Amino acid sequence: MTLHVAPAALDLEPAPLLSVANVSRFYGERIGCADVSFDLWPGEVLGIVGESGSGKSTLLRCLAGIDKPDAGEVLFRGGSEPLDIYSVSEQERRRLMRTAWGIVHQNPRDGLRMDVTAGGNVGERLMDRGDRHYGEIRERALDWLQRVEIAGSRIDDRPRQFSGGMQQRLQIARVLVSEPRLVFMDEPTGGLDVSVQARLLDLLRVLVRDLGLAAIIVTHDLAVARLLTDRLMVMKDGKVVEQGLTDQVLDDPHHAYTQLLTSAVLSV
Amino acid sequence: MTTMIQVENVAKTFTLHNQGGARLPVFDNVNFHVEAGEALVLAGASGAGKSSLLRILYGNYRPTSGTIHVTHAGRPVDIVAAVPRTVLDIRRRTLGFVSQFLRVIPRVSTLDIVRDPLLARGATPETATERAKAMLARLNLPERLWNLAPATFSGGEQQRVNIARSFVDPSAIMLIDEPTASLDAANRDVVVELIAEARAAGSAIVGIFHDEAVREKVATRYLDITAFRKA
Repeated sequence: MTLHVAPAALDLEPAPLLSVANVSRFYGERIGCADVSFDLWPGEVLGIVGESGSGKSTLLRCLAGIDKPDAGEVLFRGGSEPLDIYSVSEQERRRLMRTAWGIVHQNPRDGLRMDVTAGGNVGERLMDRGDRHYGEIRERALDWLQRVEIAGSRIDDRPRQFSGGMQQRLQIARVLVSEPRLVFMDEPTGGLDVSVQARLLDLLRVLVRDLGLAAIIVTHDLAVARLLTDRLMVMKDGKVVEQGLTDQVLDDPHHAYTQLLTSAVLSV
Repeated sequence: MTTMIQVENVAKTFTLHNQGGARLPVFDNVNFHVEAGEALVLAGASGAGKSSLLRILYGNYRPTSGTIHVTHAGRPVDIVAAVPRTVLDIRRRTLGFVSQFLRVIPRVSTLDIVRDPLLARGATPETATERAKAMLARLNLPERLWNLAPATFSGGEQQRVNIARSFVDPSAIMLIDEPTASLDAANRDVVVELIAEARAAGSAIVGIFHDEAVREKVATRYLDITAFRKA
C-alpha cells in the first residue's frame, strides 16, 4: 500500500455546522468552563458528560447563546453566511434560537408555556417562524403530538395536566416542529422514571436519526450517552479532559477521571 | 488481490490510573495484513489479547502506537488517526463487528434491528424487510418473535438476531468475535455457511472462534498473536 489518504480527504460535508473556539466562562475567581474548542458537523450528536459541577451546563448555556462567555467564539453555519453568535444583535440571536436552533431543558416547565394548550405550545414555534395559516398550524401540531406519542385528543389540554414524561415529550415536539438544524439538550431524561426514560430515549434516538439533526446533549448518565451520541467530551473542573468517539471513550478510557466515571457505573 | 487491512507496528498498553497507575502491556510490534476473500483466524491462549486486537481493528480501543489502514471507498484510511465521523462512516459502509452479545435497545423490534444496516446503506424499506425476514428464517428464529424486542429472548436467540443483523448485508471487512458460543449444531453450521458466502463475495474476515470444528471450517489462514506478546 502506497497511497495513504488523510482522513480529511473523506470529509462528507464541506464545513462544520458549529465551530467553537476557546470558550471560557468565569464566575469571579471560579472557573465555569475553560478554553473549550470543537467542531460539530451536520447530523453529528455530541455528548458532554461529567459530574455535577464539572461545567457542562455552563458550557451548554454559552454554546446555546443563553449566557455570554468571557472569552471565545462560536460560529454557526446554518445559513448563507457564518454567524458569530456573540457579536450579532440580541434580536438576531433570539430569531436564531427560535428557528434554526432548539433547546430542550431538563425541566419541561422551563421550555413550555404552562398556561397555553399543548397544541398552542407546538404551534407557537411555527408562528414565531412566520406561519400564519391556522388550519395548517393546528394540523402540524397534531402530527407532532402523535410523533412524540401524545394522543391527538389531548391537543387542547394544558401541560400541567400532563405527567412529567408527557411534558418532556411535548417540549421535544415544540422544539422539533420548526425543523431546527441544531438542538441543545440539558439532561433530557433527568428526573424521569427509568421506564419513562427508556421510551423517551428511543423516541429521541429515532427522531435524531430520521431528521438528521445535529445535537449537543449534556448528561451525567453514561448509558444515555452511549445510546444517543456519536462523540463524547468528558469535563472535569470546567475543562475537557478527554474526547473522542463515544464507544472509544467509554470502552477504552485514557484519562484517570474518565476511568473513574466508567468504572463507577454498574453496566453501560 | 486487494489489501483490506494493513496493520503496522501496533502496540497496546492499558494504564489503570486509579489502580496505582498499573500498566498492562498487551502486545507490541503487531504487523499483518488481510486480503479481500481471506478469513484470518486469530489464535492464542485466553488472555493473549485476541479480543483487544479485534476491538483495535474496529476503532473501539485506541492503540498506544501504530497505524491501521482499512480500505474504505477504494482508499486506505488510517482508522487510528481518523476523526470520529470518518470512523462512523467506515463502520457504516465498510467495517462490521459481530460480537458475542447483542446490545438491546429498548422497544426496537427484532425485524427492525436486522433491517437497520440495510436501511442505513440506502435499501428501500421493502427490500430491507424482505431480506431481513429471509435471514431470520435461515437462522431458524421463530416468526412469532420477529415483531418483538429481543430483551426477553434467550442468549442463543439474541445471538442469532445479532448474526442476522451482521450478515444480512455483509460488510467488506467483517470482524467476528465468538459468534457461535451459545448456538446449537444446526445454527453453527448456518453461521459457517454465512461466513463462507461473505468470503466468496469478497469480504475480508478476521475472527476468533473457540470451537475447533468451526475454526477449521472457516479459516484460510491463522495468526498466532502470542508472538506479539510483550516480554
